[in-house]
Amino acid sequence: MGFLSLLARNRLALGGLIVMILVVLLALVTPLLPLADPDVTNTAERFQKPFSDGALLGTDHLGRDLLSRLLWGTRLSLAVGFAAAIMAATIGAAIGIIAGFYGGRTDNIIMRGVDMLMAFPYILLALAIVAALGPGLMNALIAVAAVNIPFFARNIRGITVGIAHKEFIDAARLSGMNNAKIILSEVLPNVIPVIVIAMSTTVGWMILETAGLSFLGLGSQPPQADLGSMLGEARSALITNPHTSIVPGAMILIIVMAINLLGDGVRDALDPRLKSGALSRPMPATMVRRDGPIPTADDDALLALRGLKTQFHVKDRVYKAVGGVDLSVRPGECLGVIGESGSGKSVTALSIMGLVASPPGVITGGAVHYKGEDLIGAPYEKLRSLRGDRIAYIFQDPLATLHPLYTIGDQLIEAVRAHHGMGRAAARAHAIDLLKSVRIPNADKRVDSYPHEMSGGMRQRVGIAMALANEPEVIIADEPTTALDVTVQAQILSLLDDLRRDRGLAIIFITHDFGVVAQLCDRVAVMYAGKIVEEGPTNVILNAPAHPYTSRLMACVPELGQGRRELAAIPGLPPVVDNLPEGCAFADRCQKVREGCRAGTIALAAHGASQRVRCIAPETALPEVSA
Amino acid sequence: MAGYILKRLISAIPVLFGISIIVFVIMAMIPGDPATAILGSYATPENVEKLNRDLGLDKPMVLRYFIWLGNMLQGDFGRSFSLNREVLDEVLERFGATLVLAGTAFVLCSILGVAAGVVSAARQYGFADKAITFAVLLGISIPSFFLGMMMILIFAVQLRWFPVSGMWPIYGARDLSALISHLTLPALALAVVATGVIARLSRSAMLEVLRQDFIRTARAKGVHERSVIWRHALRAAMVSIIPVLGVQAGFVLSGAVYIEMVFQWPGVGRMLVDAILKRDILLVQGGVVFVAACYVMFNIAVDVAQSMLDPRIKT
Amino acid sequence: MTTALKLTNLSKVFEVGKRMFGPAKALVRAVQPTSLSVEHGETLGIVGESGCGKSTFARMLVGLLPASTGEIEIDGEPLDNADPALFGKRIQYVFQDPISSLNPRKTIRQIMEGPLKHLHGMAHAARTERIREIFAAVNLREEFLDRYPHEFSGGQAQRIGIARALAADARILILDEPVSALDVSVQAQVLNLLADLKEKLGLTYLFISHDLAVVEAVSDRVAVLYFGSVVEIGPADQVFAHPKHPYTKLLAESAPVVGRALTAPEGRETELPDPLNPPNGCAFKARCAFASKECGLEPPRLEQQSDGVWTACYHPLSGSK
Repeated sequence: MGFLSLLARNRLALGGLIVMILVVLLALVTPLLPLADPDVTNTAERFQKPFSDGALLGTDHLGRDLLSRLLWGTRLSLAVGFAAAIMAATIGAAIGIIAGFYGGRTDNIIMRGVDMLMAFPYILLALAIVAALGPGLMNALIAVAAVNIPFFARNIRGITVGIAHKEFIDAARLSGMNNAKIILSEVLPNVIPVIVIAMSTTVGWMILETAGLSFLGLGSQPPQADLGSMLGEARSALITNPHTSIVPGAMILIIVMAINLLGDGVRDALDPRLKSGALSRPMPATMVRRDGPIPTADDDALLALRGLKTQFHVKDRVYKAVGGVDLSVRPGECLGVIGESGSGKSVTALSIMGLVASPPGVITGGAVHYKGEDLIGAPYEKLRSLRGDRIAYIFQDPLATLHPLYTIGDQLIEAVRAHHGMGRAAARAHAIDLLKSVRIPNADKRVDSYPHEMSGGMRQRVGIAMALANEPEVIIADEPTTALDVTVQAQILSLLDDLRRDRGLAIIFITHDFGVVAQLCDRVAVMYAGKIVEEGPTNVILNAPAHPYTSRLMACVPELGQGRRELAAIPGLPPVVDNLPEGCAFADRCQKVREGCRAGTIALAAHGASQRVRCIAPETALPEVSA
Repeated sequence: MAGYILKRLISAIPVLFGISIIVFVIMAMIPGDPATAILGSYATPENVEKLNRDLGLDKPMVLRYFIWLGNMLQGDFGRSFSLNREVLDEVLERFGATLVLAGTAFVLCSILGVAAGVVSAARQYGFADKAITFAVLLGISIPSFFLGMMMILIFAVQLRWFPVSGMWPIYGARDLSALISHLTLPALALAVVATGVIARLSRSAMLEVLRQDFIRTARAKGVHERSVIWRHALRAAMVSIIPVLGVQAGFVLSGAVYIEMVFQWPGVGRMLVDAILKRDILLVQGGVVFVAACYVMFNIAVDVAQSMLDPRIKT
Repeated sequence: MTTALKLTNLSKVFEVGKRMFGPAKALVRAVQPTSLSVEHGETLGIVGESGCGKSTFARMLVGLLPASTGEIEIDGEPLDNADPALFGKRIQYVFQDPISSLNPRKTIRQIMEGPLKHLHGMAHAARTERIREIFAAVNLREEFLDRYPHEFSGGQAQRIGIARALAADARILILDEPVSALDVSVQAQVLNLLADLKEKLGLTYLFISHDLAVVEAVSDRVAVLYFGSVVEIGPADQVFAHPKHPYTKLLAESAPVVGRALTAPEGRETELPDPLNPPNGCAFKARCAFASKECGLEPPRLEQQSDGVWTACYHPLSGSK
């Protein structure tokens, strides 16, 4: 259902499908059509031009009717091509699944054999097989199928290895299934789409290959002809009577092209990564489509977000990841942004410098003021010159975020030279200094290491060094310690704290951990469903949270030293941001929900001297306002 | 690095061994005996028997294999009965011609394919992407032998820009310009399919890489977009493109068989097809083993290139 | 209380750089010989950082990895590690990643039926009834049964994973980081559900996590793993409050806690030892402030300190602070 509609949506694939249906239908009804016998020669009528009497497409060098031969040849070529593809796919997949699933020595021996076969340029093997079996269409089919088995086997093995290490295979084992059952009911259903994709993208190839062998005179033998041998026989008359070549050649082209279009469509429809549009290339900067007034700079903050809105447009859905965020940070200040996954905290951080992947990300409103200047919608070159120079990022996973093929020295040098015309030697010395400043031991040796040669903690230090490379004013740290162990996290956090105090850095620190916020941040903003629900000085928020979400979230985090206990869980799930409720997004999970909560937007209002909260019934009463 | 190359060369020995066994076994499956094929239908039983003994065909198969292998290692590939010439001499001469054709086509398709893939990915869904995607589709759908024939028809017969066939002019100097004019059409025809495949895979490798976190890091550093594409993304994408180039080299070598037929190029592919049709087993055996061995060596070079590119591969 | 699970000298050695023939290039000892026992109805927490061998340990207990040495006894009966299905009826596993532990191409009903059919050979009607009971126990709606895994959030998928483990009717559950892929608000829901089930069904848990606070909140006893060995084991309220092993102390002080000033508990920038080249003696000595010559000779053995706490250290920290 979903598959067919996806396929139909792809217009090229649909075109391919229609052509293929026509060709297959034609091939099926060929015996019923009133055609001349394809093999009866009539040398008197040889080389008739197309559209001549009694021969719509003309005749060949022996006076045989080309139309008839074309249709019969198509029938033969299709049958042979599909048969070869099915044979190669079935045997190849079986070998691949067995090798991939059992692994170890079985895998090793099978794959050595496959490698051996792949060590031949494939046609040599096909030629050798045909030489041994003798020319003939059946033998050509066997040869083409045989040389393609290794390709299928290798491809399917790769997929199977991935699946065999998935946890659901372990779960099936613990459910009492044996290997045969696991292969049939757990592995195979997950591999079949890949087999179908591989087959649909190679059927065309198989048709070309069998036609090729026939073209060489090693496939179908006269008088029987497939498309390849028609072309082969016509070759000697290429210059005098080109139509005898063009007719079968064009037919092969049409068939293979239609199959390839269809195959691409099948692949796109079956490959889940393509389904979500994930294979789009992110543009250099996030797309901006702001409607409504653009906020102006209103205070003297170093970096200020005003009503920032970022959405993801996936097909016909709109995910409002960031729904109007106001934040600001002053020189030397550390602002924590805390929230659960899907709260929009990372998207907010990435939106600042236009680093949200786009498509599908779009900034639809608001402004980011850096020293009073709006960065959203600033020309790319302006944005680029600020990135990493004045405003730098530290990301979460230090292995994925460093380039695997360049030394960390090269990557640090590049960070500097992207902004400052520094000589390579000076830049290298600077890189070593940077590594020292993040307390990497043996910095002058480590500068030539590759990221994979370092531990997670050391890599994150490199990430920090890279952010510091141009002495920026603001560092945006997106969960920089989440992927690290606690003892390493403690080292990194204390490093960041020292650096910001020594250098007067402003930091926006994205995290989900209250403990980290408490230790590092001066102020904290709590996000829920794309909006800030509460903001204020860290000690105020942690001691007297005003928003029910904040207080309940803190209550359900176990904290070391409190012993064994029941946790106060929040019932329900966060709302999905493509379907946000009217009013407060937390209302459905809130114990204090009341009438006004779902009636219209609730503003982020001042609460006491330093706090702001988006709630009509805050947890703490407003402190007495002195007159 | 030298140690790695040595290691790869040593690991090629069992592969070459395996190749020779596969070829030998396939050839041994041939029904009927070669002696009859050589002597023709007028052979007397005594003649056949004598020839069989001369050729060593009365010995057990394993022994025959080792004799054949031993001879081959000493450079004796046997004698082709259809050409009445040493197999090795013939193969070497023909393989040179094939190398010129396939090598040119391989260089063409590598450069054009990767460039087209990168441009296509960098301009995803733009005009260039759509045009390249369509051209690629056409390229991988057209049979190379048909393409070659059409090229002859248009560029050689109609426009007379290039000669119709052959490697050298029948009369006249065998110089570089003559070679180039003969080479252009077949090399292009041969390169088209592989260019399509390489462009396709380069495009998807680039798209895959461009979504990686380290690309975002490069952008966050303020690196120029040109450098993001050509320095950061392409380098990482090459890790998956280079093995494809290795495989495509095999396809180019394979496609050369058709192109040699169409353009009457005096290469090893045409030699093999003729030898198969004439049942000249020793020539087929020798040709296949020789070309496969060269291809194995080429793939070692590909692996070495890969290890120089990717420091994560242990050398 | 009686012993539910007893391990004697359980260890795991991995071969690195396997060749087609001949011995492997190197051996890595992921789990040092370890002896432990868990009482019926007890929750034993196991904490450690990445690479400490806690997942290897857990997978051996359910037979997904054959142990290199040692024995596993359940309810006093030894289990040979040949057949995971034999383990399955007695001990089950809840995986870290709830989504990837469910086959994407099967409905939840098909997934739930697996253990009932293959381990217990139940007929169709009995299976339907049993699934209904289990779903009621883990607070899942029955309409979920005909959906596919990708339609669920992490928290729901983890409930399904727990439901599947319960379907096997095993009394012992290995919980391998069951909440670390979940958000804190959902994490608390799942932890409370686990506590409920344990009480209602009389289960025994081995709770593996890197999160000290979570382990402390759910466990009766806690074992601390470092580099493949248990370095400290004792009552949950003792281990982190009064650590005896310097590593336990480092862990406890590294955990970010509201209201504690930010200090790096380690002065030096240190890293884990290299498993291919393990140190002699105590694996922690390079990071330890109290390391002496003795520590480099022989790995310390677990010895009982006061109050039921066992520590593998030559210089255990004096208790009360």
